[in-house]
Amino acid sequence: MTGGSPGLLDRLRNPVVLLGILGLVVGVALVPVVWDVSTEPDGTVAVVEMHGTITGDTATKAMDDLREARHNDSIEAVTLDVNSGGGLASVSEQLYLAVKQTSQEMPVTVAVTGTAASGGYYMSVPADAIYVSPASTVGSVGVRAVVPSSATADNQITTGPDKALGATETEVRQRVETLRRAFVNTVVAERGDHLALSASELSYAKIYSGTRGVELGLADDIGGLDAAIDAAADRAEISDFRTVRMESPSPDALGQLGLSTEETIDDQVTVSSTQYLMVYGRLNALSAATETEVKTNGTN
Amino acid sequence: MARTNLLRGVGVFALLVVLIVGATAVTGTLLSGTSQSEPVSGPAYNAELIATGVDDDGDVATPTSDEQKTVVVDQSHGNAVSETALEPLLSVLVESGHDVRFYSGDDSGLGTGGLSSESSGLNGTLRSADAFIVANPASAYTTAEINGIEAFADAGGRLLMLADPISPSSSGQSQSLPLPIGTGSGTTTTPGQPTNLAARFGISFGSGYLFDMDENANNYQRVYANPTGEDPLTDGVDRLVVNDATPLTTDDEVTPVVQSEDVRLSSTRRAGTYAVTARTGDVVAVGNTEFLSPSSATVADNELFVSNLAQFLVAGDKETGVPKPSAPTTGIGGTITPPGSDTPPPTNGTTTPTNETGT
Repeated sequence: MTGGSPGLLDRLRNPVVLLGILGLVVGVALVPVVWDVSTEPDGTVAVVEMHGTITGDTATKAMDDLREARHNDSIEAVTLDVNSGGGLASVSEQLYLAVKQTSQEMPVTVAVTGTAASGGYYMSVPADAIYVSPASTVGSVGVRAVVPSSATADNQITTGPDKALGATETEVRQRVETLRRAFVNTVVAERGDHLALSASELSYAKIYSGTRGVELGLADDIGGLDAAIDAAADRAEISDFRTVRMESPSPDALGQLGLSTEETIDDQVTVSSTQYLMVYGRLNALSAATETEVKTNGTN
Repeated sequence: MARTNLLRGVGVFALLVVLIVGATAVTGTLLSGTSQSEPVSGPAYNAELIATGVDDDGDVATPTSDEQKTVVVDQSHGNAVSETALEPLLSVLVESGHDVRFYSGDDSGLGTGGLSSESSGLNGTLRSADAFIVANPASAYTTAEINGIEAFADAGGRLLMLADPISPSSSGQSQSLPLPIGTGSGTTTTPGQPTNLAARFGISFGSGYLFDMDENANNYQRVYANPTGEDPLTDGVDRLVVNDATPLTTDDEVTPVVQSEDVRLSSTRRAGTYAVTARTGDVVAVGNTEFLSPSSATVADNELFVSNLAQFLVAGDKETGVPKPSAPTTGIGGTITPPGSDTPPPTNGTTTPTNETGT
């Protein structure tokens, strides 16, 4: 017996064999971890939606999404999915700043999936690239104010002549002009040499088709959402990525809120205030001024 | 001995806990980035954005005249201008002792649309007037009225015609426009502008408004206008601001007095120089009414222009008794002139039904 081959236990006493087995076990145990690490995407492209009218609610969600993208280490780039004809001027400016902030920290591209007009275009201009389709629309670089009826009701006592409207007509006009300059100059500055339109031509607030927008330098390329996502990933230098969609609030829930100039305080009292809007299209039945026009025409 | 070992064990335990927690805290602090981002601002957001207002000071001066004059403001043609809108002009006229009257049609009022000739009413009113203001009439003037007004102007009466651009919506409604009963003017061509009256004097009001995208008074429709030369109407005036102005086209006998340069016309989008005020003798036409309103009458040099217009209205030397009662087609002699008709009345003695007013 003593002259026979060593038994299994004897072999295990050999440190080489023991360590070999131990290494095999550890290696197999680590396979899933290493597999996960090796097959994990290089990063994430966040697709942030801005659909519908730009109101405080829709924009807050989009700005939160952008902030999340900036602070989340796994998100390397952002693509904005824009389909909006604009909305409130102040909120549009906030969105513009949020997009600009994001574009300073990571690549941001825009896919115009319908309309990026007025405030919707304002928020798009800081992006590194704007993708449009031939039928999508961009432009409408302009501002408007909706002033409620100036007449103060007999049953109201105010402490000053401007308490109801907040400003005289001249002052409102001045403010609208200031907002126009901010908007137009921003587009000129952000689009830079791409832009073939002068500030004065932009101020016409025309709306352009996607192809014409590319020609005029309001957009960069024809392409859909996937093209915009790929471009964002390219700029972030990630070839293997996943996307995370951050959706706008349901338009149904907010559609009714829209851009109402009237706020209900209780059953008896509603408040109308001057609204500064960056929105494309003709406003109907919002403006007391419009009502006045109708009345004037009717008595012509 | 056991007690010493226990204490030593506790000490080692505490030391390890402190070391591990401390190392974790330090490592975490070092590795965690800041959640603050570099502040961002728009490249175009600077103080240059703030729009400055156009100077708005001065007062409309009262006109000087040796005698009291009568200024009649037409309100009989559905004139789309309120007394408030003309207040700065009318106030100085009243303040300087002149008589301001509003002619709102024949006093016979309701139900007389087909039975009285309003033209004789207007001409009768003009007979005792020295100046006549026509602003944004919705309905056309009849031939009789135009003849009367022309005779009035030829006799030294001062005529001021004002009109704004016709908005597409109002022109679209012209067919169904309810006319004030009793005015008798049923031909509702181009509401808002005294087209056929102005044409008699070689003046045509344009369509569309003037705009300037580059140099304006804080809005593209508020354009600057300058005097074309020496004229009492523009004494002291350097620059006017007109909002929503329509251009005037004139014949050779009419002199443009105020014009806007390098502006565009909304209907054609063509750039050019457009006359905003024109004058021929005792007749002045202005393609704007808003400059007379309280909020605009003192902007830029508008107050000087309004003052000069007030002076123009009371500086005439009109013959008395013109237009004469025998002015043509006044309906005297048994035939009834259909109100608003520019065509001769039927000669068979029958009354032509009137249906223009929709009554």
